[in-house]
Amino acid sequence: MNALPFSVITGFLGSGKTTLLSRLLRHPAFERTAVIINEFGAVGLDHLLVESSDEQILLLEGGCVCCTVRGDLVRTAGDLLARRAAGAVTAFERIVIETTGLADPAPIVHALMTDRNIADALRLESVITTVDAAAGAATLDAHPESVKQAALADCIVVTKSDLADPAATGLAARLQALNPTAPKLAAMHGAVDAAQLFDGRAYDPARYDPALFKTAAHRHGGINTFCLRREKPLHAATLSLFLQLVAEHCGAKLLRLKGLIDVVESPGRPAVIHGVQHVFHPPAWLDQWPDEDHSTRIVVISQGLEAQWLQDVLEILEKEVNACSIS
Amino acid sequence: MLQDTAWRTRTASVLSGALRLWDVAATVQCDDDGFIVATGGATLRIVPRAPHGWMIVRGAETLGVLAGMPGLLRQLREELAPQAKRGRLIIGAQSLL
Repeated sequence: MNALPFSVITGFLGSGKTTLLSRLLRHPAFERTAVIINEFGAVGLDHLLVESSDEQILLLEGGCVCCTVRGDLVRTAGDLLARRAAGAVTAFERIVIETTGLADPAPIVHALMTDRNIADALRLESVITTVDAAAGAATLDAHPESVKQAALADCIVVTKSDLADPAATGLAARLQALNPTAPKLAAMHGAVDAAQLFDGRAYDPARYDPALFKTAAHRHGGINTFCLRREKPLHAATLSLFLQLVAEHCGAKLLRLKGLIDVVESPGRPAVIHGVQHVFHPPAWLDQWPDEDHSTRIVVISQGLEAQWLQDVLEILEKEVNACSIS
Repeated sequence: MLQDTAWRTRTASVLSGALRLWDVAATVQCDDDGFIVATGGATLRIVPRAPHGWMIVRGAETLGVLAGMPGLLRQLREELAPQAKRGRLIIGAQSLL
């Protein structure tokens, strides 16, 4: 069975999530999109504002999808998939979930990636975060929820770019420091290049940007970003132990981890790793390196993790695995 | 040779960093036998075992014998920071490519 892509549109209150979604759904490529909208209040309104050529818009209300109604989200997604399989609804080709403005996207992604009833049928396409060009900087200062939303994004859409220049206000630099791995797109009245938002896969070698792995360490708003590097290849066992150790001890301090790994057992075919907090995709194997740099590079976005500690852990684990290796 | 100076420095750094991660106020010192982790209420010796592995000792009592750093950190946390939340790696079913 081909897994259906799902994407999460998140962003702080008033940052333009619904406007973006409404514009996207008018695009011909999104005719076959099922939409789940979460609203915090008892009476939802946002779904009334979304114009769609299809009726596949579902409302989750009465709580926030990242906490109180997470089970409802899983059930709703499961129901949608069952109705699609039964031919009871149009055969939609993707699911888009719009969160509340205060939501933490990580538990939503975790729920849909790991629930045994639906995880095989879905695959994460993208976490898209909207940031208001005019009010975004003040929002980042005042609301840690918005900082985490930006840090966890696969793609950041700077909305209302007609009202303010994010470069001039310093917002562009702040977003780059917070999340250097996410492309930043500008939207005016919700209009943005949809193809850049939904590229089909969580990792696309064709879109590899070496600059992402040359990021200097940044610290901003309680979020720090850094890149671990290693010139010599790692054993696969080391990688496995490293990820387990990080998940076990770093907990919610780890926001995102993305890496290209030179693996001893797979010369010339690097592994791609990609995780949202402690939940990871299975490692994927590329047929070749995407550029001339064949070193291991791991970009970490965290809330206070120490780069040197993680680098030391990696080196100690590799040394222990080497000592056990019989090859 | 596992136990060179660089390895000792790195190991002490890993232990110190883990204690900070768990919000445990403690010091880590190296001596000829291994490492000494001292908190306000407890002193633990961490002794490397050839050819690899670890032993955690409190006074005359051996608290554990571990095969590697993952086990060492896990037991240290259980001894010094049992309240620290323990995470678990989850590998989802969804392909990345």
